[in-house]
Amino acid sequence: MNNKQQSPVKKLLAIRGMGAALTAFVGLVIIYIAFGLINSAVFSGQNILNLLRSMSKYLLIGIAQSYVLITGNIDLSIGSLVGMSAMISATLMTTGMNPLLAILISLLCCLVIGVVNGYLVGKFKLPPFIATLGTMFVARGIAYMVNGNRNTDAIATGIGKEAADKFQNFFYYGKTLGVYNTFWIAMIVFIIFFFVLSKTRTGRHIYAIGSNVDAAKLSGVDVVATTIKTYLISATCSCLVGLILCAQAGMGNMEAGNMYEMYGVAAGVIGGVSPLGGTGILLGTLAGAAVWQTLENGLNMIGAQVGIQRVVIGVIVVVAVLLDVVVRNGKFGKRK
Amino acid sequence: MNEVIVSMNHISKSFPGVKALDDVHFELRSGEVMALLGENGAGKSTLMKILSGVYTRDDGTMEIFGKEYGDLTPKQGQEAGVAIIHQELNMCRHLSVAENMFLGRELAGKFTLDNRKMRQEAKRILDDLKIDIDPDQTVGDLPVSKQQMVEIAKALSINAKILIMDEPTSALTAKEIEDLFRIIRKLKAEGRGIVYISHRLEELAEIVDRVTIMRDGQYITNGNFADMTMDQIITNMVGREIKEKFPRVSCEKGKKVFEVKHLNAGKMVRDINFSLYEGEIVGFAGLMGAGRTETTRAIFGADPKDSGEIWLDGQEIKINCPMDAIKHGVVLAPEDRKKDGLCTKLSIRQNLALPNLDMICNGLGVISSAKEDKLCEEAVQNLRIKTPNVEIDSGNLSGGNQQKVVVGKWLARNSRVVIFDEPTRGIDVGAKVEIYNLMNELKKQGIAVMFVSSEMPEVMGIADRIIVMCDGRITGEVMAQDTTQNEILTMATSFENKKKVG
Repeated sequence: MNNKQQSPVKKLLAIRGMGAALTAFVGLVIIYIAFGLINSAVFSGQNILNLLRSMSKYLLIGIAQSYVLITGNIDLSIGSLVGMSAMISATLMTTGMNPLLAILISLLCCLVIGVVNGYLVGKFKLPPFIATLGTMFVARGIAYMVNGNRNTDAIATGIGKEAADKFQNFFYYGKTLGVYNTFWIAMIVFIIFFFVLSKTRTGRHIYAIGSNVDAAKLSGVDVVATTIKTYLISATCSCLVGLILCAQAGMGNMEAGNMYEMYGVAAGVIGGVSPLGGTGILLGTLAGAAVWQTLENGLNMIGAQVGIQRVVIGVIVVVAVLLDVVVRNGKFGKRK
Repeated sequence: MNEVIVSMNHISKSFPGVKALDDVHFELRSGEVMALLGENGAGKSTLMKILSGVYTRDDGTMEIFGKEYGDLTPKQGQEAGVAIIHQELNMCRHLSVAENMFLGRELAGKFTLDNRKMRQEAKRILDDLKIDIDPDQTVGDLPVSKQQMVEIAKALSINAKILIMDEPTSALTAKEIEDLFRIIRKLKAEGRGIVYISHRLEELAEIVDRVTIMRDGQYITNGNFADMTMDQIITNMVGREIKEKFPRVSCEKGKKVFEVKHLNAGKMVRDINFSLYEGEIVGFAGLMGAGRTETTRAIFGADPKDSGEIWLDGQEIKINCPMDAIKHGVVLAPEDRKKDGLCTKLSIRQNLALPNLDMICNGLGVISSAKEDKLCEEAVQNLRIKTPNVEIDSGNLSGGNQQKVVVGKWLARNSRVVIFDEPTRGIDVGAKVEIYNLMNELKKQGIAVMFVSSEMPEVMGIADRIIVMCDGRITGEVMAQDTTQNEILTMATSFENKKKVG
């Protein structure tokens, strides 16, 4: 083998999945500038801050779903876990419980569902679509039940205004270095899980399972443990988003996080994560989440109705994947 | 008869980064079997995919039945009478035989499908071929050999005049191969042209009329099979003379390394007892489905064991999953490399590193890329894996090189026992010899080698001791130097009770 020094750019492009991620970033820039040209308020500092904050939720959801998608599975329970986490933490805080303890309990509950998902899919070989469809209903049901089938009161009624402000600022309203905390939280999570996926043994096992679970098993990969890990990571990120929504509203909403699992799929897929498993990097998910949020934000800013927003976003998801297929396979997938 | 039905001239085809075909010529006459020979990656499959319209050529001319075709689509190819029987069978496993045969051109009545007519027609074709298959049977339930027959029947049902068979015998038993050859002779007599791609050179004499040889995407030569010696053919394929088809090294037989006692696992692994020693290769011979693969999988922990003991270096070890086996230095290069051996979507690097991550990770599980680079570089060098770099998808490698990656995964470790399950299936002569050399190397290092193979000459040529299995049991054990194919075959077919051979 020749040990030629490759240029950094070439080396970067050689990373698998980087192509799709960079394409998504280019798309992001184009979309952003296009909206900005229509309405210059898109470029305003406050809007950028808002964008970064709301993008963070989708990024976390995207990370959650991407981990599971790369193993070739899917997690439909993400949105319900978001709702469950928001409701449990809010309900506990309205009783006056210490926010930290409330957060821990809510995380624990989410992890339990994550373990159940992991066992059902990894150990008992249930189709992930079915297994997590089940837990999706269960978790949403729990979200309804914890406060007796209604949304919670403001958390300030339980823990007092000061503590409530602290909680809400930490997750949503406060800023560090001029940018909303939500963004920093998402970034820290992103960096950790980006590293785990690309540089560690667990990450490599995740790719191997998604590419060929039989070969992975025969290479000594613990398929069950790795599958459980992906669902635990998914549950953790979902829990975090639940807390962010709780902080944003200052209360628990039973419908919080509705459909988020699908937003997660969209963010991943736009960034080049294949739902068939084995391919994709979190940088792509980051780009995907940003594209998604920029679209939503831009469409809002130019005064598009919700209906048309949905249509545009739906079309973008399909086109992104279609483009990828076309680019990869030559004209319309005729050649391999 | 004997008119030219396919004539391809100056065919070239490039894929990104590779010139797959370069100025290739190919001719097929009616009523003949043309063997298309070459090593893995020589371009045989690409050429045939151009003939059937799966790929379009970059350059050159192509005539089928005297008609010039430009860009041929698969549908046009079918209409021109070209059919491919693929190496990996392309069947809808959940549909019936008749449904598969008429897939895409179902016969319809007024409102619904005319199932009765399709069944009758399927039955007629199958009977015509003297194949005993019920048209209503689900294809997935049939053994591979029968599935292949169904593919042939399907080709005939669309009245294919040109049949391309890609490695049709690689998964068949001797008896099944006889059946296949009978059918090929019949098709030949009917005036159809058959392109026959195979790595099993010894079977060519049975059916082949002419030979076309390719190497590295180029046309080398063609001629009557009868006018060529086997050595000439191999030299033309490989581009160099292969001195020894089965290189053998002799070692002193050392101490006992590995012992399996009373192993039972399901129906196909019954009371298996054997030992492996330092400095010897133990061949496992038998017919397809004799339980050898199941035995290797049970030993390795890939499938559950019902009972039995496994001893390594004088101590009993417990193997409940592949991880346990690997930890003890017992490793398996599995039979089906696409299904069990490789993550085809991942790079060569990722595949090579996968079972060795424990060696290149720090305590926190973070991979050291320097160590990984070194591991990959060594594997590529030692095994002579032909690839521009290790970042390429392993699925894009030729069969022989894929097999080298599967084997290479295990060589970085200090193993005590290496199990090879059909390591040379579907790979070319040159690569086969490299795999043999590798096994010999392990043998010299005192590593116990278990070598499962269905190809008798290979087992007899490489193994020192041969254990024969039949129907899930060990039915004999012989030393390679003082046995004959017949003796092994007798043991391989000593079924219990009244079951017949095949």
